[in-house]
Amino acid sequence: MRRPLNALSTAPNFPARTDAVIHAEELRHSYDARRYALDGVSFDVRRGEVFGLLGRNGAGKSTLIKAMTTLIQPTGGTLRVLGMDPASDGQRIRSRIGVVQQGESFDFTTVEGNLDIYGMLWGVPREERRRRREELLGRFDLDEIRKRRAFDISGGQKRRVQVAREFMHDMEILFLDEPTVGLDVIMRRTLLDSVRSEVRRGLTVVFTTHNLEEADYLCDRVAVIDEGRILVLDGVENLKRLYGGKKTIDLTVGGDAAERFYGRLVEALGVGATVTVSGSSAVILTDNPKEVLARVLELSQSVGVQLEWLHVRQNTLEDVFLRSVRHGGESSGTA
Amino acid sequence: MNTDPGSLVILIGLPGMYLVFFGYGFASITSAGGSGTAYLQFLTPGIMSFQAVMAGTVGGGILWADRRWGMLAQLLSGPFTRLQYLLGIMLTALLFGLAGGLVMLGVAFVLLGSIPTGAVALGVMFGAITLGSIFFGSLMLLLAALLKSNNAYNSLQILVIFVVNFASTVFYPESSGLPVVLRGLFQVNPLTYVANTARGAYLGTLGPTDGYQMLLLAVETAVVLFLAVRAYMRSDLAYE
Repeated sequence: MRRPLNALSTAPNFPARTDAVIHAEELRHSYDARRYALDGVSFDVRRGEVFGLLGRNGAGKSTLIKAMTTLIQPTGGTLRVLGMDPASDGQRIRSRIGVVQQGESFDFTTVEGNLDIYGMLWGVPREERRRRREELLGRFDLDEIRKRRAFDISGGQKRRVQVAREFMHDMEILFLDEPTVGLDVIMRRTLLDSVRSEVRRGLTVVFTTHNLEEADYLCDRVAVIDEGRILVLDGVENLKRLYGGKKTIDLTVGGDAAERFYGRLVEALGVGATVTVSGSSAVILTDNPKEVLARVLELSQSVGVQLEWLHVRQNTLEDVFLRSVRHGGESSGTA
Repeated sequence: MNTDPGSLVILIGLPGMYLVFFGYGFASITSAGGSGTAYLQFLTPGIMSFQAVMAGTVGGGILWADRRWGMLAQLLSGPFTRLQYLLGIMLTALLFGLAGGLVMLGVAFVLLGSIPTGAVALGVMFGAITLGSIFFGSLMLLLAALLKSNNAYNSLQILVIFVVNFASTVFYPESSGLPVVLRGLFQVNPLTYVANTARGAYLGTLGPTDGYQMLLLAVETAVVLFLAVRAYMRSDLAYE
């Protein structure tokens, strides 16, 4: 079985970068004796970058966020956040970070009350609190619902409140655990743009998402995590350049002979292309799309299947993700 | 206090209703164990002590509400320690117990026309309520930390409140006519200690027994508070 290669763990010792705000080395965590939720994770997060964590449900993203935000103590490995050990300096770390949880979290009060109480808890002076509250209510389009109880608003509105709330206090790192769930396209982009503008002011962001378009839009670097291990870690553009010149062909066939068709297609294409089949559909990654298309047309006639969908496109981060998860990681460039 | 007014009405209103309805309702058939004390006068310190149990439900309720609505994990990501969060809940419960006791004293003043106002009497009454609030707040927090489901916690809480309240001297004196088992329950119930001491201060009948009971309650409170803190600090409350 191909061992997932983490580009940052090739050296026997893994010294932290001098500009790293988070340093993880061979991090492990298990909730029970049977399985590791984190299984030897190593990475650095640089100051001022947006670091994305991509992975399926149960991959270990939330466990990693909980470890970095001091909610849990890893059972093995080394973790430093802002140069401090979460096990001994948890409170000091937490005073300099913000966390938007994956689930809902609200007080029994109005939207503006939630922001105000949060600012109060963080020791923000009254006038400053008022100023920030008014600015955030406007920025996150919460003015019209400011007097409504947080429990009475929609899921998307709740999410906006949760994210807005974190900007009531100063922080050096913001952890966003799937922050755009439930938001419409416009509000998703507004939220991401707000995060981006804070990043320009020096904020570091660690961002987990299922949505690869968001990761593509926002992140400087992305780590693909699966079964507690980082499979791929690189800059977004580097990851896409990894497939430089490669195209992706999306294909769906109809008829009963789909399985036979794909079997023969894989045989015909050999190592010249990577074919990932799912039922009657497939994704083909290739340097030579014309050759592949010719084979597809030829075989569809000889096997007797109907081409229901055929689309040739540039590679996206989704292709990187799917490829990494299915094939256990890729050799990546410098991160 | 501004977040859930409905619950506040129940937590303050319910004991108030006990005072009014039981006080007048039972007055015609009892004179508080033949001591000549009007039942309403007997009941008032009992109901004030009852606030210590209600304070406990506030404490456990806050923890469960925060767990349920995601605020526990959110707050534990903030610049506070777990212990600070727990002590914050205890303080809220304590303030609730004291405020509730004060409200009941106010209701009694309206109904009776007079209440004890001496510093010693008031100090002993509210001192007993303080100790009781911390005890029952710790007990409910211990249950909240140990139990895994809100339903289980609510069910156990109701049972505890029912038994603790009615197997105590809140509503009636401990009678020699009680069955042995019931008398035993009265005698070990911390709420009995609170009610007896508060009543002694209210009626001006404090004695050495009240002092011993308060000492015992202080020891029990320290033990339960320690167990609650330990259970809470060890539990995986943050990731649910």
